Amino acid sequence: MLEFDGLHKSFGDVRVLEGVGFTVAPGTMFGFCGANGAGKTTTMRIAMGLLRPDAGEVRWQGAPLDAAARTRIGYMPEERGLYPKMKVGEQVTYFARLHGMDAGAAAKASAEWVDRLGLGARRGDQVEKLSLGNQQRVQLAAALVSRPEVLILDEPFSGLDPVGVDSLAEALLEQVRTGVPVVFSSHQLDLVERLCDSVGILARGRMVASGTVPELKRREAGRLLRVVVPDAPAGWAAALPGVRVVSESAGDTLLDLTGGADDQAVLATAIRTGRVTRFAWQEPTLVELFREAVAAPEAQEVAA
Amino acid sequence: MSGRELGSAALVRLVAGREISARLRDKNFIVSSVVILVVLIGLLGFQVAVSSGGESTRIGVVGSSAGLERALEAQGDALDVDVSIVDLADEAAARTAVEADEVDGALLAGGAEPELLVRQSAGGSLSAVVQGAVGQLAVSEQLAEAGVPALEVPEVAVTALEPDADADGQRVVAAIIGVGILYGLLIMFGQFVAQGVVEEKASRVVELLLATMRPWHLLAGKILGLGLLGLAQIVLVAVVGVAGALTFDIVDVPGELIGTAVSVVAWFVLGYAFYAAVFAVAASLVSRQEDLGSVLTPTTLVLVAAFVVGLQAASDPTSALAVVTSYVPGLSPLVMPVRQAAGEVAAWEVALSVALMVVAIVAVVRLGGRIYAGALLRTSGKTKLREALAAERA
Repeated sequence: MLEFDGLHKSFGDVRVLEGVGFTVAPGTMFGFCGANGAGKTTTMRIAMGLLRPDAGEVRWQGAPLDAAARTRIGYMPEERGLYPKMKVGEQVTYFARLHGMDAGAAAKASAEWVDRLGLGARRGDQVEKLSLGNQQRVQLAAALVSRPEVLILDEPFSGLDPVGVDSLAEALLEQVRTGVPVVFSSHQLDLVERLCDSVGILARGRMVASGTVPELKRREAGRLLRVVVPDAPAGWAAALPGVRVVSESAGDTLLDLTGGADDQAVLATAIRTGRVTRFAWQEPTLVELFREAVAAPEAQEVAA
Repeated sequence: MSGRELGSAALVRLVAGREISARLRDKNFIVSSVVILVVLIGLLGFQVAVSSGGESTRIGVVGSSAGLERALEAQGDALDVDVSIVDLADEAAARTAVEADEVDGALLAGGAEPELLVRQSAGGSLSAVVQGAVGQLAVSEQLAEAGVPALEVPEVAVTALEPDADADGQRVVAAIIGVGILYGLLIMFGQFVAQGVVEEKASRVVELLLATMRPWHLLAGKILGLGLLGLAQIVLVAVVGVAGALTFDIVDVPGELIGTAVSVVAWFVLGYAFYAAVFAVAASLVSRQEDLGSVLTPTTLVLVAAFVVGLQAASDPTSALAVVTSYVPGLSPLVMPVRQAAGEVAAWEVALSVALMVVAIVAVVRLGGRIYAGALLRTSGKTKLREALAAERA
């Protein structure tokens, strides 16, 4: 298990993290979402030892992460970083060696990864001569070359074209299949929803929601009810107790049911207006969950 | 399975190795190294030309005799001119030789009135040598004819009041050249260190590096790697310079020249350690190469001042300024070698100066290391010293 536990961090008077915690099981992918400035990068930098938390710790296999354990983590910083004048192959080899591989193994692994990521022909080129997409692949190779036990990737998909996104997603899924826990942050929620086993949403330094995608959806489900009543007059549901009309357009009505509101009463009212062509719980998309979680100023914490 | 955790030494070695291999492929580095060597060899050549050029003359002689040749050579020795004599058959041959520039002048010695053929005019040493030789020969011949035996001329004994003045001068010149090279290399390698630090910050690769090592590993590896290159370069320059000077016989004090070269190399090590750390720390405060100038200027000015004081010390090694600055860490590497070369310094003075410098290096590395660690991950704009110190271990 990769555990982030009760992380607190302030920069001067600015409290960036106020008790961030989540766990990632081996062989699963964790999507880390949150608005800009929510604290995602700070959390990852703490895991990599680049920042020291004011409180809390990050554990891998039960033990707090230390320098030795971090050499077994593959990391991709938000701000991509490579030596611009160093050749692709040598650069990847260098990072393999910094992670403790000996010269021969590092050179072999470097050649292998450079080939695998489709950069075989560019091995002898300086990194600055590559397109941004290809530089991103070198960055990924640098993160994967030492066969890490854990992957922590800050915005790995940003700046990639759809083909690049697919090939990176495939590479990450492959890592997951070999049992590596993968944590990545992203603003592309559809991607997170598609790839991740579990998701954490960070807002104002706290985890406002975390769990598997179906879990989160189920938790929010049972609140939004979509009723389509073509013949109903406008405002047909306004008087129902515990019901808030979210939107209404020519009978297509989205209702927010709070607390003990009775969905059967809603149905009865709907039937009285005439035909009911649709009556179903609306499953929220991750985007809606995200908006909900991030927008609410006093969002209650939802533990997984 | 990934590799094991590396020890500090292994990490520092990896960083240093990368610095060296990156520099060895850098055209600027290669070019500047070649330029330094070329300038040095040029200086040597210039010295050789100045000390021997114009001091030699070729004299063609028609109707030569053993006595005349001996007289010409003796005269040449007396006037410090290297005389070479070419035997010529007759006047026609002499004219041809002069016109073809094969000889500087041709002496027609067969007749009663000796005549010197020259192309345009006889240079000072040429006519002096010929005039002296002919006159001396004539005097001794006439004396012989008059029955007077060869005169025993007493040899004048020479007593030098300052026998070492010349040698001291040469040592000081050697020290000035040495300090000049030292200054150039300190500036150059200090810049390399600074550019390397900013490159890592500007390209953001530093975040990836710091995920695998502590900031001091990175700082130490960078300074060590470039330092080894710098040391190799100054040793190469010293060896070429000393070997050249000895081969071409430019100096009279080979032992002391070597001593001066060794002390310059030793002071390079101390000066480099100090300035590289200062340059690296200064560079860590900025994030773009364009901003580098502003943070490096103060340190560069100190180096320039040290160089100027060093030159001043060469002209007056006992001045108060030279004595005081030869103890001041940062200035001492460019002043003390000059004082040492001038021979005006006791062993304890050198030891004290070295000790102060070492203390300063330790202080700079300690404090600088903290600033460097605090500033490395601040990649926006310019970091203030105070912020960097506060951010350390943040």
